[in-house]
Amino acid sequence: MTMTDRRPFTLEPTEAGGVVRLAGEWRLADLVELDRVLAGAVWPKGRLTVDGAALTGLDSAGVMLLYRRLQAAGVPWSRVDLTGFDADCLPLVELVADRLAALGPPPPPQFGWLARLGRRVSSALGALPNWLYFLGQVSAALLESLRLPTGFRARETVVQLEAVGLRAVPIVALMTFLIGVVFAYLLGIQIKKYGANIFIVDGVSMAMARELSPLLVAILMAGRSGAAFTAQIGAMKVTEEIDAITTLGLSPMQVLVLPRLIAIIVAMPLLTFFGDLVGIAGSAVVAASQLDITLVTFVNRLKDVLPLDMVVYGLYKAPVFAAAIALIACRNGFAVSRDARSVGERTTSTVVTSLVAVILINALFAILHTEST
Amino acid sequence: MSAVLELEGVRTRLAGQWLHDGVSFSVNKGEVVALIGASGSGKTVLLRECVGLLRPDGGTIKLLGQDLLRLSPQGLNQVRRRFGMLFQEGALFSSLTVAENVAAPLREHTDLPARLRDQVVALDIRLAGLPPDAAGKRPAELSGGMKKRAALARALALQPEMLLLDEPTSGLDPISAREFDRLLRTLCDSLGLTALLTTHDLDTLWGMVDRVVVLHGGKVIAEGPVAEVAKVDQPWIQSYFSVRRQSKGTLDGI
Repeated sequence: MTMTDRRPFTLEPTEAGGVVRLAGEWRLADLVELDRVLAGAVWPKGRLTVDGAALTGLDSAGVMLLYRRLQAAGVPWSRVDLTGFDADCLPLVELVADRLAALGPPPPPQFGWLARLGRRVSSALGALPNWLYFLGQVSAALLESLRLPTGFRARETVVQLEAVGLRAVPIVALMTFLIGVVFAYLLGIQIKKYGANIFIVDGVSMAMARELSPLLVAILMAGRSGAAFTAQIGAMKVTEEIDAITTLGLSPMQVLVLPRLIAIIVAMPLLTFFGDLVGIAGSAVVAASQLDITLVTFVNRLKDVLPLDMVVYGLYKAPVFAAAIALIACRNGFAVSRDARSVGERTTSTVVTSLVAVILINALFAILHTEST
Repeated sequence: MSAVLELEGVRTRLAGQWLHDGVSFSVNKGEVVALIGASGSGKTVLLRECVGLLRPDGGTIKLLGQDLLRLSPQGLNQVRRRFGMLFQEGALFSSLTVAENVAAPLREHTDLPARLRDQVVALDIRLAGLPPDAAGKRPAELSGGMKKRAALARALALQPEMLLLDEPTSGLDPISAREFDRLLRTLCDSLGLTALLTTHDLDTLWGMVDRVVVLHGGKVIAEGPVAEVAKVDQPWIQSYFSVRRQSKGTLDGI
């Protein structure tokens, strides 16, 4: 076989214009090679006859390539005559040419990073009214429940309370106990040097009640319950269950959001107080074994040094964290769009946003609290 | 005429019952064949077996000259590039745009540069009868008919020799359904495609199908051009086709 035999096409000038003889395979798999060869071709003016007699294979991609190349070289399809094609191939060529002729202008060009940045900022700002709308809906549902308590979903709330509160007890106990142990142990090493062993009680109890337990529980809730809320509501959004709730004359806010919001607001202070106890118990174990402070001494000292308002301060932060987590999680659940990736994206967003919110709210509390005292 | 798809004595056991008890038929090159049968008669299962998504418990399935049940996973993937499957709900990747959906098989199985790939994608979208502005939309933004067309464009992307379609016109209004039928017939005739489809749509049967295969009680009870199958004296077939006759009767005022 010589080189010329393998050429996918040959071009012969004629009086009227030219004849293009196609040969071999003109298929999707050969597209790259064909494109390269066609790029170097110089097309004659006038009418062009395309001869397909020597083709062994042709598909729509091959026809498309010829059409596009001729078009780009200034040879419109109206100046092309077809000859020699198989009866099977002719309809294919005609269909593709017909559809390509109807093809509109090319899509708008892609813009650079500045345009993407602008789009992101504007979409973030665009979400703001949605947030306000969501908060308004939740508030309205809350007021409606206060006005008409029969509309309140007690059963759903109890179910959520179990999922959010009761089932979180073991993990809260484990985490706060271990943090109590570690904190007391590290503090104990320093305190021992000054012979101030008894002050372990002051340090641990204040840190636990004021900061550690509320924050730990909030972080845990954000990861555990917040993610679950978003995924549950998001999945219901995808399967149109939320629309079904609405068409049944029920309010998704009352059915889905309020039970979760109330459950987590009730559960969080309880879990925080429980965390206080277990964390201090953990440090009492370390105090007894490492610092020679008996349990009785520990408890007596605790009564003297831990003021009630510090415990209360820790506890009243908890419902605020809880409300932030629940609102962020539910809002993200409703914002899920109907595609597979969205649920994952929104769940991630819930965890990240609510963690940031918890830390910010905590800082706000710290500032307000020191200013008021 | 050579057979593109051949089923021989296919048996499938599902939940302790024989769903298919020796199903045999074949689809020749260039033909459009419809598989009909009552809901639950195992049409979709059979279609899934034909593409190697499910394995029958007995019999042989030959697709494009390959015995599917004896193929290695690699061999199966080779065959899979040569046909397109259209799922009932379209099964478009919901997080990608229509253009990205159509480009996905090209991206995976060819080494086309982005410019050529975009051109092929634009062509496939046009061949499937979608307007060019549909390319940038997500599946969730499309109507049912547009979703089917987008799925068809994706199925066409790798220049398949055969199309398998699971209820292509279900969930479409009659006008869109007829348009889709016409589109499919044009594509099959022009691109030289062979097609096997399952359907409940009598208008599809009468309008565009070359041959009908009736699946009933786990067996093929009739096979042939629709006009012949409609005359077969069998209770299920008679009640199936008489639904249309009755409704047509009332429409004509007879």
